[in-house]
Amino acid sequence: MIGTSQPRAGGLARVTGRQQFIADINLDHTLHVKLVHLDCGHARIVAIDTAAASEVYGVVAILTAADLPQPVPRFGPVHDDRPILAVGETKYHGQPVAAVAAETKEAAEAAAELVRVEYEALPGVYTVAAALDPDAPLVLEPGLRPDDPLRHSNVLRELNYGWGDVEAAKADLVVENSYAFPMVTHFAIEPHAFIAAPDDGGVVIWTATQNPFQTQRIIARVLGLPLARVRVIAPDPGGAFGGKQHPKYEPLVALLALRTGRPVRLLLTLEETFQEVRRTSCEIHVRTGFQADGTISFQDIQSDFLLGAYADVAERVITKANYLACGPYRVPDARITVRALLSHTTPSTAFRGFGTPQVSWAHESQLDDAARRLGLDRVDIRLRNLARKGEAFVPGDTPCDGDWAESVRKAAGAIEWGSPIAAGRGRGLAVAIKASATTGASYSIVRLHWDGSATVLAGTSDMGQGARTVLAQVAAHELGIPIDSIKVVMGDTAAVPFDLQTSASRSTVFMGQAVARACRDINAQLRQMAADLGLVANVSVVELLRARFSEVRGEVIGVGSYRSEHQPGHPLGGSPSFYEFSCTASEVEVDEGTGEILLVRHVTVADVGKALNPQHVEMQDEGAAVMGLGHTLMEHILLDDSGRIRNLGALDYRIPTTKDLPLEMLALVVENADGPGPYGSKGAGEGGLMATAPAVASAVTEATGVVIRDLPLTPERVWRAIQSRDL
Amino acid sequence: MQPFAYARPATLADAFALLDEHGPDACLLAGGTDVVVGLRNRTLRPEMVIDLKQVAELQPAISEEGSWLTITATTALAGIDEDQRIHARFPALIEAAATVGSAQIRNRATLTGNICHASPAADTAPALLAYGARVNVASARGTRRVDLDEFFVGPGKTVLQRGELVTAIDLPIAAERRGAAFARITRRRGVDLATISICCVVESAGRTVLAYGAVGPRPFMVADESGLLADPAARDGAKDEVLRQLLTKASPISDVRGSREYREAMLLVMSRRALRASLERLRAA
Repeated sequence: MIGTSQPRAGGLARVTGRQQFIADINLDHTLHVKLVHLDCGHARIVAIDTAAASEVYGVVAILTAADLPQPVPRFGPVHDDRPILAVGETKYHGQPVAAVAAETKEAAEAAAELVRVEYEALPGVYTVAAALDPDAPLVLEPGLRPDDPLRHSNVLRELNYGWGDVEAAKADLVVENSYAFPMVTHFAIEPHAFIAAPDDGGVVIWTATQNPFQTQRIIARVLGLPLARVRVIAPDPGGAFGGKQHPKYEPLVALLALRTGRPVRLLLTLEETFQEVRRTSCEIHVRTGFQADGTISFQDIQSDFLLGAYADVAERVITKANYLACGPYRVPDARITVRALLSHTTPSTAFRGFGTPQVSWAHESQLDDAARRLGLDRVDIRLRNLARKGEAFVPGDTPCDGDWAESVRKAAGAIEWGSPIAAGRGRGLAVAIKASATTGASYSIVRLHWDGSATVLAGTSDMGQGARTVLAQVAAHELGIPIDSIKVVMGDTAAVPFDLQTSASRSTVFMGQAVARACRDINAQLRQMAADLGLVANVSVVELLRARFSEVRGEVIGVGSYRSEHQPGHPLGGSPSFYEFSCTASEVEVDEGTGEILLVRHVTVADVGKALNPQHVEMQDEGAAVMGLGHTLMEHILLDDSGRIRNLGALDYRIPTTKDLPLEMLALVVENADGPGPYGSKGAGEGGLMATAPAVASAVTEATGVVIRDLPLTPERVWRAIQSRDL
Repeated sequence: MQPFAYARPATLADAFALLDEHGPDACLLAGGTDVVVGLRNRTLRPEMVIDLKQVAELQPAISEEGSWLTITATTALAGIDEDQRIHARFPALIEAAATVGSAQIRNRATLTGNICHASPAADTAPALLAYGARVNVASARGTRRVDLDEFFVGPGKTVLQRGELVTAIDLPIAAERRGAAFARITRRRGVDLATISICCVVESAGRTVLAYGAVGPRPFMVADESGLLADPAARDGAKDEVLRQLLTKASPISDVRGSREYREAMLLVMSRRALRASLERLRAA
């Protein structure tokens, strides 16, 4: 059972279109909501006239900020900074200023167009440079953070990490460069969708979320309800990638449902979804010192991360990613200075990799640059510096928990590193490391029914990563029953016990352990039961249950939990439970005439401790690799001078298709059973995109001789670099 | 989507009557792959959508009459790809049609619709232009034929007048040997709009026709009558001179797909490549 490739629960329903998503849920007497936004990034709202809109047949309610409780409730996963609707000004392209609820979708759309908004376009902050300009408009009202010394700037937070003494460090070579990482959006196939209905003195909300318990908490606070009166139902999302981790319009639909006394639904368009979630862009300036043999002497990193108009969880992204900004290497002296900057753009949030693709883009490209200058092999320089198992590469914190060199050697072998290569081609290899979940808690209840089948209650969200299958495998293994006699119930705060969230590749470790412990709780009860009934030790589970529950029926209920407690004073609130380590190797062919890149072969290696379901791991890593090729080769949100997204929508924002896949792809694993999860497992599924950009860019450099430090590597960008080379 | 009336005429006469009645408030639909997107985005707001799929005279057909191959208005791009005569005589049109959308789109999208939408980046336009296509236009008042090169006016604009629709596209069947190639630059290999597109047709008598998309307000064509481009013995530098001269007709802009500078550079790069491929195919023919 463990280590076998059980078919994915729900996989067939997903690919045949039979899975029920939020948009497929139809409640009687539902009102349809359409949001009203401005064609502008930053604007002062002068007046909103809803008279014409309210005349549209079928319109039931139109809400603006003035119709909300005053002051307008604000919310967010960390800072309560985001208002339910724009108050006084819009802070990003697409921020809604009003919401129309009507009997039909068409009426809501028609009325939304008739809401007249008089506004004054204001200068906005759309870049790092603009955010740092002392004359820049302030994105966040100082009054919302009165005690923060940074309140009169666009800096949300400054971070300083480090150890040793960079100023005193000696180096034979200092490599100094700047790197940029673009804004990219998650592009889950299912756009964000929300339904709310009044429910027994409270409210019930259907939302495609990775985090039903946080939504429950925030709605309860905004509406002043006890948790038990807020029920969040989260059907398996159609892709999430971090973009569905935190509430967006759940408070709005909940308020509308309570105001109208009717169910309301809001389905964002794909374009509106693009305007709601993105990865944090950044500019990283690095000085790295090396000894002549390639040993890293110091890292001196200064970065600016451009958040959106509201903090969302981006501050956490930056905190965690930059904590490991030196990568998985032994660095004697380090200084990491980071600014988290607010801007008038789409709020940046959690996104697969959680900041790691940004920092690895810099630290890996630096190693390649040093290898070229020192005449060293690019794999050797990594092996020389990689932390060894047990080594505290961040002084005082969780030491290296895997044989990372094994992953590098495996990737190098698979890409045939060092073998002769055709003209016009190049190879690259890069590594990345992500701090996994730090603090957190997962609870599970397992019900072993009298017929020997079982229901597993787990608050994890299965957004396509396969948690349903893996948790069922754990239960099947622990209880010794067939996997097809197990039902995993998720995504309903009124039915399943608490889980912190589905993020950070934590579910296999945290919820996997909780489920395993709940099953072991059942097994202990069964042993006692057998003893009480005087049955022999090798009696089967079914025989035992029949003997115990023959007449009045019943079931055995097991409870399990897994917690990682807060550590006061720790920069991350707690030490990482494990590290997600990944190595990517790529071989490319570059068309020097056009700048087009062809991926000939692409390899990922993930150190997963133990692959509970090898095919699931492979699919996750392949999916991550393809997603990484998106930000590496083609994806970027383009803004115009007034902060509007120029490539809004699937036609102009391009992600890789099947035709863009590498000619050959390999997703390999390293299994040393050295993780904290069940059976020695670690989390997986993000690693495949964490080192894509530096691996591919390094290969492009070998093929062409040009070094590019901006992403994505579009044909035009590569072509321009080649033109400069040939000048 | 804004509410609209929908009609599915059975004859051309019925379609003309509807067109005359609704004029600019009507929108013609064949495959619907552009129209439905426009309706959903509310960029198209017709009062009447006239679906041509059931019009008896416009049923999908590819026929040969004299020296012309005729493709009716509702013939889908997938139907083009299934026709062996087009494969044999107009291979660059096959290459161009294969780049439109995805297989699912090509099952619905029509060649005529691709032309009538008049996108500067219409993928089939350069191939049709280079092969010398003409457009059959009809209305209640009669029919007329328009060379494709005169059909396009600007982005989304054609010479079609009120009450007119396109019934078919004709392609001239050449007696002489030709070599042709279609090529384009895109941001990715899968479904994408062209950053630039090009079709080259080299005739055995020495004339070379080049047609371009996405580098001006409308697709356009140029010809080298001197025979230099078709001359296998001519120097690359001399060919580049001719190509540069011909390409002065291009007026690319900068947009999200690429800058003007990149497009200008790619025009020459891709023209060279399409010309080389066309010459190789002519030699092999």
